[in-house]
Amino acid sequence: MVALSTDSSALRDRRQTARAAHIWLIGLLLISSVASLAIGASGTSLWAALDKLAQGQELDLMERVVLWDIRLPRLVTGIVVGASLAVSGAVMQGLFRNPLADPGIVGVTSGATLGAIIAIVLGPLLPLAFLGTAMLPVFAFVGAWVSMVLLYRVATRAGRTSVATMLLAGIALAALGGALSGLMIYSADDDQLRDVTFWGLGSLAGATWAKVLIAGPIILGALLVSMTLGRGLNGLALGEAAANHIGIAVQRTKTIAILSVAAGVGAAVAISGGIGFIGIVVPHLLRLATGPDHRMLIVNSALLGASLLLLADVISRVVIAPAELPIGIVTAILGAPVFIWILIRSRGVVDL
Amino acid sequence: MLAFEDISVRYGRKTVLKAASATLQSGQVIAIVGPNGSGKTTLLRAISGDTRYDGTVALNGQDLSVLKPWQIAEERAVLPQISTLAFPFQVIEIVRLGAQASTTGHQDVIAQAALARVGLSGYANRFYQELSGGEQQRVQLARVLCQVWQPVVNGRPRWLLMDEPVSSLDIGHQLEVMQIARDFADQGGGVLAVMHDLNLTAGIADRVLLVHAGQIIADGTVDSVLTDDRLSNAYGCPIRTRSVPANGRWFLLPGTNAA
Amino acid sequence: MITRRDFGLIGLAFAAQSGLGHAAQYNRILSIGGSVTEIIYALDQGHRLIARDTTSTYPPQALDLPDVGYARALAAEGVLSVGPELIIAEEGAGPPETIDLLEQSNIPFITAPDTYSRQGVLDKIRVVGDALQVPEKASTLARKVDGEIAAATHGITNGDQKRVLFIISTQGGRITASGIDTAADGMISLAGGINAISSFTGYKQVSDEAITAAAPDTILMMDRGGDHGAPDNVLFNMPAIATTPAGQNRSVIRMNGLLLLGFGPRTGQAVKQLNTALYG
Repeated sequence: MVALSTDSSALRDRRQTARAAHIWLIGLLLISSVASLAIGASGTSLWAALDKLAQGQELDLMERVVLWDIRLPRLVTGIVVGASLAVSGAVMQGLFRNPLADPGIVGVTSGATLGAIIAIVLGPLLPLAFLGTAMLPVFAFVGAWVSMVLLYRVATRAGRTSVATMLLAGIALAALGGALSGLMIYSADDDQLRDVTFWGLGSLAGATWAKVLIAGPIILGALLVSMTLGRGLNGLALGEAAANHIGIAVQRTKTIAILSVAAGVGAAVAISGGIGFIGIVVPHLLRLATGPDHRMLIVNSALLGASLLLLADVISRVVIAPAELPIGIVTAILGAPVFIWILIRSRGVVDL
Repeated sequence: MLAFEDISVRYGRKTVLKAASATLQSGQVIAIVGPNGSGKTTLLRAISGDTRYDGTVALNGQDLSVLKPWQIAEERAVLPQISTLAFPFQVIEIVRLGAQASTTGHQDVIAQAALARVGLSGYANRFYQELSGGEQQRVQLARVLCQVWQPVVNGRPRWLLMDEPVSSLDIGHQLEVMQIARDFADQGGGVLAVMHDLNLTAGIADRVLLVHAGQIIADGTVDSVLTDDRLSNAYGCPIRTRSVPANGRWFLLPGTNAA
Repeated sequence: MITRRDFGLIGLAFAAQSGLGHAAQYNRILSIGGSVTEIIYALDQGHRLIARDTTSTYPPQALDLPDVGYARALAAEGVLSVGPELIIAEEGAGPPETIDLLEQSNIPFITAPDTYSRQGVLDKIRVVGDALQVPEKASTLARKVDGEIAAATHGITNGDQKRVLFIISTQGGRITASGIDTAADGMISLAGGINAISSFTGYKQVSDEAITAAAPDTILMMDRGGDHGAPDNVLFNMPAIATTPAGQNRSVIRMNGLLLLGFGPRTGQAVKQLNTALYG
């Protein structure tokens, strides 16, 4: 055996940066959470309410509704949705070995959109009244899930999933979904069109405990499963063959990645509509800051995605209060220029 | 011991490898040679698990088809001919990707040692994409060495499978990589390499498998396998081989009818 | 941008209001829907309004009220933040999650029906009047509006009814027009015209040939001011329209959108204006 010569003095280890980032990002998430609970259009004060609780007093109705029924479910929704979008972005990018991949390119988003539009336009005609307000999220989730599983089946032959086939079929499926959505939109009335538009812009305003209780566990499950994908996705960065050589169960990694993204994004989109940009920007920022190691990237993406979505939500409800700006507008307006600025600054330093 | 028996590979209807069989002993550097399209890389890909095949491959007595990827990875590493990499990983991060679960305790130390072994210790924090092709190839070799750093573990030899490991290297680094392979075998591991350069092969290989038209047509020492007639037939051109007068070592002169 | 201090002030106002509980008459009213807001002002109850939605743009003083957003995409906390004691909304306000939360907050939520007919306007006025606890004023207003509509539609014979095509947009040379079951369709009928398109419901893009076949005598559009609506020369140069009687006579009527389609207290006025433009 060769002598283990090490001159680690000059060695920089990005894993340490990434671990330090865990701490910073947890801090950021805590701050964002408090901001999300404390800031809102109404004058209800989180601190006054906590003070009351500490003194054993009853909260008045307005405090209870605003804090417990509006802001708290919204906080939880923001955390799980933001984390899910960012983690799904990181996982998709790792799976497709492309920093531009997001759940949109494999048709999850178009599937969810089609489901949502069907619920909005055809919902009143279907004998599914028992679903009530759950109809739209249920349809969106089913749409996302069906499209992803369909793609997976199309791209898998003899137990092997071809990522390239999946990408191409995803584009075709997205086009088909877009066309069917167009068909629905054509037969929609004016009010339904408005609903479709607003749904596409995304919002956490519709967050309720009922939705949190249904979608939350699905998203959390998907997130936890995603956390196990780090090493596999690192291996896939070397290519599928090399990943197999270093002991990665490649097919299992792909299957888990695809199913967890379908479940997580499906549920997230179902309860919050179309929120763009988080899935691309968050993993990219973190890759620039702490490197592409997916074991770190996925955890940090969850934390940063949740924080950013909460902050965007605070902005969305304050900036034109008492009205609200759809959050998809906020994430894009704030996210896009920052993203471009980062790209310009890092141009030439780091290849995508 | 690495044994394969009746390995056949078909791409569509075309059979590119027909019933290849051999039993390879560790402690040796074994070269697979043959002209372009002969099936030599296909043979290595089948043994590496990159392609579907009929027949059996057994590593240290265990059929690979019943082992999990991580079990196989503990006992053999593969250096591909061409490596691609997504995302801006740093050199040391790539080398560390080779580390296995059983590489306990010293993973980082081994990764750095592997990098030093290929002469790139100063490159740890460089971005892989910024390196030259030859440097990238050596980083991949360091990753592979990191995976099977100890040639023998608990009496079980490990294997290095390499597909044209020196294809993008200059002559100095070619010799360096060959020396790494030699050392690995001398310490009890097994090396199986697809080789393009017959002179380099002759300088290092303990055993040569000559592949032609999808079949292993000769198997043995350099002198017994690489004969003028066989090479001329396989490569489709007149080939003359000679011995170095001083030490009797085999070499091939390029060009026809060389003196 | 709203600061923390503003929240505090709103909070104080809030606390003061919530003490009132179920007073005989609600004095902090949130109006959702352009026609509802118009009705409230027409009933001289504008002083009781504390906020409005985005579609409430008439009368002009309504614009001074805080805007809680689009009627079908209301945010619960935004609505609560203006401290309403009563919410009156046009049919279709939402989303349902927000309405549920408002109900949980014990804020009465009155929905005014929105049907595109003479009776629909009267019903809407009565519902709003009842909610405001000014039923007599509402009856008076309803009678007045009813009278105006009756007067405006007086004397139209069935024989020479004009065919009217309501165009909502000509974006990119593609014409989106009204079918049946729309506010525009309702207004065209009230004003004594015939909707030139009856083959679909709602607003849809219509092919050039279908417009030629519909053969409208006149085009009806919303007057959006500025360059938003197609100018006459552009409109009448569109091949589909050029071939129709409306195109040959260069006949187009432009009216304010909320006036024309709101089905509020100015509906009589709108019917008269449209009727005059058609037959006057």
